[in-house]
Amino acid sequence: MNKPTMDKKTIPLPSSEDGVCNKNNEPCLLEIEKLSVHVGKRAILRDVSLSITERQIFGIVGPSGSGKSTLLRAINRLLDLQPVFQVKGSIRLRGEDVYSAKIDPDDLRTRIGMLFQQPVVFPASIEANVLFGLRHHRKLRRLENAEEVESALRRASLWDEVKDRLRDSALRLSVGQQQRLCLARTLAVNSEIILMDEPTSALDARSTDAIESLLFDLKRDHTIVLVTHNLNQARRVTDWVACLCPEQGEGRLLESACCDAFFSSEACLKVFEKLEDS
Amino acid sequence: MRRLFDRSLTFLSAACAIVCVGFLLLIVGAVAWRGVGAVSWTFLTDQIRVVGASGGIFYNIIGTLILMVTALAVSAPLAFGVALTHGVYLKTSRSQKRLMMWIYVLNGVPSILLGILGLMVFVLFLGWGKSWLTGGLLLGLMMLPTVVVSLSERIQALPKSTIEAATGLGLNQSQIVWSVILPQSFGGWVSGSLLGMARAAGETAPIMFTATIFAGATLPHGIRESPVLSLPYHIFILAQDSFDPAVGAKLWGAAFVLLLLVFLLSLASIPLRLKIHEQAHHG
Repeated sequence: MNKPTMDKKTIPLPSSEDGVCNKNNEPCLLEIEKLSVHVGKRAILRDVSLSITERQIFGIVGPSGSGKSTLLRAINRLLDLQPVFQVKGSIRLRGEDVYSAKIDPDDLRTRIGMLFQQPVVFPASIEANVLFGLRHHRKLRRLENAEEVESALRRASLWDEVKDRLRDSALRLSVGQQQRLCLARTLAVNSEIILMDEPTSALDARSTDAIESLLFDLKRDHTIVLVTHNLNQARRVTDWVACLCPEQGEGRLLESACCDAFFSSEACLKVFEKLEDS
Repeated sequence: MRRLFDRSLTFLSAACAIVCVGFLLLIVGAVAWRGVGAVSWTFLTDQIRVVGASGGIFYNIIGTLILMVTALAVSAPLAFGVALTHGVYLKTSRSQKRLMMWIYVLNGVPSILLGILGLMVFVLFLGWGKSWLTGGLLLGLMMLPTVVVSLSERIQALPKSTIEAATGLGLNQSQIVWSVILPQSFGGWVSGSLLGMARAAGETAPIMFTATIFAGATLPHGIRESPVLSLPYHIFILAQDSFDPAVGAKLWGAAFVLLLLVFLLSLASIPLRLKIHEQAHHG
């Protein structure tokens, strides 16, 4: 798979304390500053600062236990579901702190969609699954339904496979198809950011290819934050990579750089070795 | 020595199982043997005559069904409320356990005490007299723990990832309750309710002072002073009186019909449970 090449190589490595977006001066969509997540007294993440610009694929890599998933779940406030997690620091979406009282977390999660490691489809038809989030956000007329379903499934490149059986149970789809159905569900509510938590780790090679090639289409309209343990995948698809590494059980940001610079940076090579060993 | 111990343990367990099943078969067999002769079309469709020695049990069946349906209607909203409080709204496991403890306490309340409570509150204090509604309320309360436990188990068994996925789509808590939790735990409510109704159908103590009389009632006409006939109370009265052989035959007939009713309720729950189970897993 060819990665679209941009003028990445000319971009210098940012300093590790960067809280600044310096990639072509593009507007910063998501700004994470000194984020720490604690469970009781134990820190799972400590002092992570990242800037994520619009319409790119932002990869997060790191060994297990480095808090990658926790970071994702802090962004869309899914951690709220478990009150044991305490979040400190700030995450700003277009300048607005997502943890401020003005933000409605349900509204936030509509804007920031999420794809999980294991696809979770609801025991209903394919069509109902696509509309699952959407029909709670606005009233739909019947004709609109069909349009929304088709458009979302097309964007998730699942339409051709399922167009003749939209009323069938979604549970009969293969795992790879289910994962794309979950993506379609998120696309239907028009999330501007899509968080992906190792979305291909449960899939076979073909489904993985399908999802990866989708990512390039998606980033025209969406910003994607992709957690992956697969360094080759990060190399293939991401524009910018951040590496988290556990230090004494606490996840810390080791490096955040544009993809090409990242994969040639000396500092990261050691972590990669560790990663590939694990 | 060890093998001997193993074998004797196996033998003992098997013996216990055989005693259990044998006892059930004995009861069912005895009731069926004596009762099946009394059951006929007129027995099922005629009303009670000559103080139970003649006629049928039509209004007793109707009365028991009325009590069952009322109990179902009473227990359903309560059970959903309690189960959702337990599984969704209470956040600490301590408070959840405390709530469940009270449900088990309710389950342990002797049914005669519920009857006395109903007598004091509804019959006397509210002045309803004997009423089908009091019976339905008390039986609903009696079957509540069974329904709550079955429903809560189903809610607890919902994968956390399902809730996370729905939350991740921006659904708020009540939307998740309506479109994820309730549909996916509905089977638990059905099986709990059928099981609870099967138990409540045979209860005499809660309804004997509050809801049911032996003869002289047909369909209820309102709430106050509106009792129904019922199968268990019918059996209870006839049993006290059964030295008359004509009454004896009717007694076994009524017992057989009650057993059949309970059996059918349990039987109905099996395919329904399987069907819902299948829907939940394979669409």
